[in-house]
Order: sequence, then C-alpha cells, then structure tokens
Amino acid sequence: MAHTHKSNLELIKNGMFSENTIFRMAISLCPSIAVTNSLKNGMALGIAVVFVQTMVNVTISAIRKFIHPKIRIPIFMLIIAGYVTIIDMVMSTYFRAIYAQIGLYIQIIVAFASIFARAEVFASKNKVIPSFMDGFGMGVGFLLAMIVISFFREFLGKGELFGITIVAGKPLLIMILPAGGFLAVGLLMAFFNWIDMRFYGGKGASGV
Amino acid sequence: MTAKDIAKITINLVIIYLIGGLLLAVVYAITSPIKFQKEKAEKEAALLTMIPEADKIEKRGDWHPHEKHAEYYAALKCSELITKSEKDEKTGEIKETKECINPQDIGYIAEGFGKGYSSYIHILTSVDNSFQVKRIKILGHGETPGLGDEIEKDYFLKRFENKTVDTLVVVKGETQDKVEAITGATISSRAVTEDGVRKGVEMLKEKLSGEQNKEQEKEEEYGSHS
Repeated sequence: MAHTHKSNLELIKNGMFSENTIFRMAISLCPSIAVTNSLKNGMALGIAVVFVQTMVNVTISAIRKFIHPKIRIPIFMLIIAGYVTIIDMVMSTYFRAIYAQIGLYIQIIVAFASIFARAEVFASKNKVIPSFMDGFGMGVGFLLAMIVISFFREFLGKGELFGITIVAGKPLLIMILPAGGFLAVGLLMAFFNWIDMRFYGGKGASGV
Repeated sequence: MTAKDIAKITINLVIIYLIGGLLLAVVYAITSPIKFQKEKAEKEAALLTMIPEADKIEKRGDWHPHEKHAEYYAALKCSELITKSEKDEKTGEIKETKECINPQDIGYIAEGFGKGYSSYIHILTSVDNSFQVKRIKILGHGETPGLGDEIEKDYFLKRFENKTVDTLVVVKGETQDKVEAITGATISSRAVTEDGVRKGVEMLKEKLSGEQNKEQEKEEEYGSHS
C-alpha cells in the first residue's frame, strides 16, 4: 500500500469492517478462540490490543524516516514488545482478577500478525494521524470481533453474560470448550460474509 | 553496506533501546510496589479466612510440591490478647501493637499445588489439630471454564469438610464419606483432592505431628494408591 488518500473515517471503518482482523483477514485467530469463553476476558484482551495497535502505529509512523530500512523489522518488534510489556505490567497490577485468566494471551500480543502487518503495510509508509486512525480502527475491529464471539460463546455455553446468569443451566456446553471457539468463529465469519454478499455485493472473505 | 549505514543502524538501535528501556523502567517503578503490596494483602487475607478463630497466622516452613515453592503455616490462638497503643514521637501517629500471651496451635494451613487438566491448581488447605480438613480455598487455576472451574464453587469446597487423609479420595457418583467428583471434571476434582489437598495434609502430618504428638506414628505410604 502506498501513501493513503482515504479520509480518517474511512480508515477507521476499514479496520472495523472491510479489513476486520478476524472475520475478513482471518489472522490472530489463536486468541479469538482462547479467551472468548467469557465476555469479560474477550473484552479485556480486545482493549489491550486497541492500546498496543494504536500506540505501535503512531510510534512507527513518527519515526518512519529515522529508521534504517535494513533493520526496520527488528525495530518494529522492539516497539511492539515494549508496548506489550507496558500493558502487561499495568494489567497485572490494576486488573488482577482478569489478568489471572488472560495474562498469558496478553504476552503473546507481541506475536500478533495483525499488529505487525499494520506496522509494515501502513504505519511505516504514512503520516502520524492516518496511522493513528488505521491502528485505532484495526484495534476496535478486533475488539468488536472479540465481543461478538464471546457474547455468543458465554451466552450459549454457560447461559451467562459478564458472569451473571441469564438462563439457568448450560444450553450448549460445547460453545465454551475449545471446539466451540472454532464453531463460533467459523459460523460468525460465514454470517458476515453472507451479509456482505447479500446486501453489499461483496465477494466474500479475501481468505489470505 | 557503507560506514554511513553502519553508523545509522547503530544510532537507530541505541536510541530505540534507550527510550524503550527508560519507558519500561518508569512503568515498572510505578506499578511494581503496588503489585507487590496487593499480592501480599491477597495472600494474607486468604490465610485469615482459612481459620477464622485464629488470632495470628505464623509461617512454619517451606515445601516443594511439583517443584514449586509453597509454604505452610500454623494458626495460633492466644489465651489473652493485649492491645497496646504507642505514640510515635516523630510522626505523632498512634501505633497499635497486639501482644499475644501463651499462643497455642489450633490448626495448620498448607499451601499446595495439584496437577489438573490444563494447569497447576493453587490450593490452600486448613486442618485442625487432629489433621482433619477444616476448609480449602482455590487461589488460582487454569482449568476449563464451565467444567473444571467448578472447583472454585462453594458446593464443591464444602465436600472437603472434616475429611482425613484416608477419606480424601474422589468417587464418581454419590458418596457419604469420600469426595464426590464434579460431573465432567473428574481430572480437576482428582487433582484438587488427591494431588493437592491430600498431599498437603500428609505433608503437614509428617512435618508437624512429630513435634505436636510424639507417639502418633507416621502411617500411610506416600500416595501409593493414587
């Protein structure tokens, strides 16, 4: 992608919908299955990703002219790892109950393909403000996907939302097991593709 | 690669490392004292709930289940508790200190780990003087949500009341004197009961019954029938 001509709003919408990390690009699927068995955990990881994605994009964009092209990849990794360590320390201090359950996945945000891809494809070639919008949009897109998946999984699997019982019993237990994660992601992806094709004349997921 | 490239790459890396390192140091300096205090407070609060009648919890030693570091404690009851108020000359704050007269062991608490389905389950077990389980508490685990995480629930924890080394055995289906497994989470139930709690009680018995009661013999082969 060369220098972008899209407006800020288009950039945000791009990350949220047309290039949604999970439902359209089908990357960073590991956490989308691992932590989405409860709405609270899914949202916590999503918020951490919004922070890291936005900050990484802004930082890389700000120093893009200063970085020597030969070592840009190690520098991207350093910046990503730095922000992940910050969010890891903050969450383990102030949100201990949630961190106890999703701490491991906070640390592997370092290896998220989506964050690295946006740094390389977008932030290293564009100005700070568009990069901020792009990172924020991508992050929020990931957060939305996590909310949708964990909403269905927690509701169907446990009959609860945010740990509060809505329906007694366990309507569809498989949904909170790992297998249910694959089912939920696959079915939701199919559903969003169907909407796209039916109402917006899209061609379905790019399936990269 | 020219000398100019090498110089630029070096400067790039040095500056990024310096700024990144500084930033991390600042965040660490802010968060780590708070984190340390919270961890300590959480553990102390958990210990006090294990034997509510106790006036004081005292560390007795360390042990290493599954190569992890764990501690065990004695719960002390004082025959008299005297509260003294002392005024600090410099700050003017009034400090309250409690003096414990003639403390007696009324029970023990063991921290332990049980190897579960997908994690090590971190458990506190409290026993009375005769090594009967009073209550247990799950401090942390990574078991399957919806199935294995039922081990945290009160109905399961209640099943441990008044159990001894011999009755800390998991049974599928209803039972009177043993521990009934959680449906669909037999491995987690077994990890808590037989690997965590029972080994903790056995350890307490081995280390403490000698000093408490010399004639009480050490029975039971160590976990031979698990």
